[in-house]
Amino acid sequence: MKKKLGFIIGFCALALGLAVQPAFAQSPHLTIGAVYVGSANDYGYNRSFHDALAQVARDLPGVKVIEAENVPESADVERVMEGMIQQGAKLIFPTSFGYKDFARKVAKRHRDVAFEFAGDGDTEKNFGVFFGSTQVAWYAMGVGAGKMTKSGKLGFVLGMPIGYALGNVNAFQMGAKSVNAKVRTVVVVTGGWSDKAREAGAANALLDQGCDVVGMHVDSPATIIQTVEARGAMSIGFQSIEARALAPKGWITGLGFTWAPFFMDVAKSVMAGKFRGEAVYQGLGGMVAIAPFGSAVPPDIQKLVNETATKIKKGFTPFIGPLMDNAGNMALPPGASIGNDQMGNLNWYVEGVIGKVR
Amino acid sequence: MTTPLVLGVLAGAVLSGTSLLYATLGETIVERSGIVNLGLEGLLLIGASVGFSVTAATGNAWLGLAAAALAGGLANALFGWLVVTRMANQLASGLAMMFFGFGVSALVGAPYIGSVIVGLPKWRPAWLASLPWVESTTLFNYDLLTWVAIPAATFVWWALFRTRWGLGVRAVGESPAAAFAAGRNPAALQYQALCSGGVLAGVAGAHLSLSLTLTWAEYMTAGRGFIAIALVIFSKWHPLRAIVGALLFGGTEALQLQLQARGSEISPFLLEMAPYLLTLVVLLAWGGSRRLAAPASLGRTFYGSD
Repeated sequence: MKKKLGFIIGFCALALGLAVQPAFAQSPHLTIGAVYVGSANDYGYNRSFHDALAQVARDLPGVKVIEAENVPESADVERVMEGMIQQGAKLIFPTSFGYKDFARKVAKRHRDVAFEFAGDGDTEKNFGVFFGSTQVAWYAMGVGAGKMTKSGKLGFVLGMPIGYALGNVNAFQMGAKSVNAKVRTVVVVTGGWSDKAREAGAANALLDQGCDVVGMHVDSPATIIQTVEARGAMSIGFQSIEARALAPKGWITGLGFTWAPFFMDVAKSVMAGKFRGEAVYQGLGGMVAIAPFGSAVPPDIQKLVNETATKIKKGFTPFIGPLMDNAGNMALPPGASIGNDQMGNLNWYVEGVIGKVR
Repeated sequence: MTTPLVLGVLAGAVLSGTSLLYATLGETIVERSGIVNLGLEGLLLIGASVGFSVTAATGNAWLGLAAAALAGGLANALFGWLVVTRMANQLASGLAMMFFGFGVSALVGAPYIGSVIVGLPKWRPAWLASLPWVESTTLFNYDLLTWVAIPAATFVWWALFRTRWGLGVRAVGESPAAAFAAGRNPAALQYQALCSGGVLAGVAGAHLSLSLTLTWAEYMTAGRGFIAIALVIFSKWHPLRAIVGALLFGGTEALQLQLQARGSEISPFLLEMAPYLLTLVVLLAWGGSRRLAAPASLGRTFYGSD
């Protein structure tokens, strides 16, 4: 009986192998693997990668994309990536920050596979790192919010107070202040990147306290934007520019990641056998884009935001001293500046932000 | 215009307390019949996910709510088959049901992540809207589930303490053998308690996804099922005290968010812990009390009375 079962299994495997064989013969020139920590259709961070890879697959003949969603930041991700390599993947995008060490291990075992990790750290021949620098771009969002607010109080829902997120808040406040001297940004921390009920509560609390524009840095902005929309206030989106569909009335604008051009370049270099791991950080105009404006935004404000964006693309940054923190201390001495690569170390709120880091 | 702190907290307490109350009521009925269901977190997730998926697929939030209630009831019926019919260990089965809930909810919800739904409709009577401050808050702008939350708790109290069925359920929770000797069927009563409790837990989950957040995300309940289990102890297995408990816990959560929004000087990390600290304090304060009022046979498997 056991023998018979073994024979059947063997036969099935053989049949499967034969069936797969011709598929390999005409297989695409490049198989890309992408690993997401959340769902690809979350109107947020993960969707931005999904959309970009879909565009690469559409525009570059011979490219096939395999995706794995909801992969935790644990050793599981190693197995997922190994599986993708077995399926023929020659380029892998580990897109969550916590995949770092696991992705490195797999990259060491497979020198012939290129890795592009969304985060920071050292590069290797087959291991590149990249990210979109959103901090300075939030300055342009602040300009829009500062012009649109009537109460002079802006709200910001923050998942966790990490340096990159604090940089977003600080630039937002500085941008708003550049057009509206009295403006304040109130921060509420939820303590997680995806605690939906608390995000709704945080947005409600901000609106209760008189904020009329709410920005956010959480995994998916969907709950916050819809809560704000339902109460007739305005929102600034983040992560995926498609989130505007959630707020037909109150949408001002937002920032989203546009990875497609960079992914296209990487895919081409892998196909040409010329891949080399590098550290690539791009801001507005590169990996970060401004979403279309909502219908409530008058043309002169749209123009102002666009002009600010152009200024940022040419190299403007608000992170130049002297800057005071919101406790009245000198946070950045005159002449000093903070580059995109140092944002992770930020641990203070700029003057005008209402909130505590710790 | 800023809302006074107390109104903001109250508004937030009602919004996040609604689902806590339904979950607590459900678990109260189940525990009154002598069964501990540690899988409540999983039930909430199943309710949230099924409710959202069905709403996204059909465009009708009421259908979503009904499906969530049904799914909650069915999931608890399955739990009943494990612990009543198969007499499996309740704690282990409950934990297994929780992880089962994680998996099932993720599977059901996956195709609908990112869907945009119209949630349960909300009403605010005009005379309430004209009260000072109310206009600019979420106060009294509630969906049906919130409006009937307190009547629902009263109904559960009436069913448990004023009907023959409730007497039977409580008798089974105290002493299944005695209930059996008195001519009641312990297994049937436990199944009934589990199914009605599951329906309430499904409704609790659906309130999260269909009214509060209007999204589905994996593990979006973030521990609310466990807070509800603690609330059952807090309310001493009494449906009316559960109202106070749900409001208190919802209020703690709302208070920490409101304090942050008002620029409080307290560390946000400390504030985030507040609801869980309160849970610990309650368990500490109630622990060791002789008047705990827990059903005497809670957690014990009834093997029949031969």
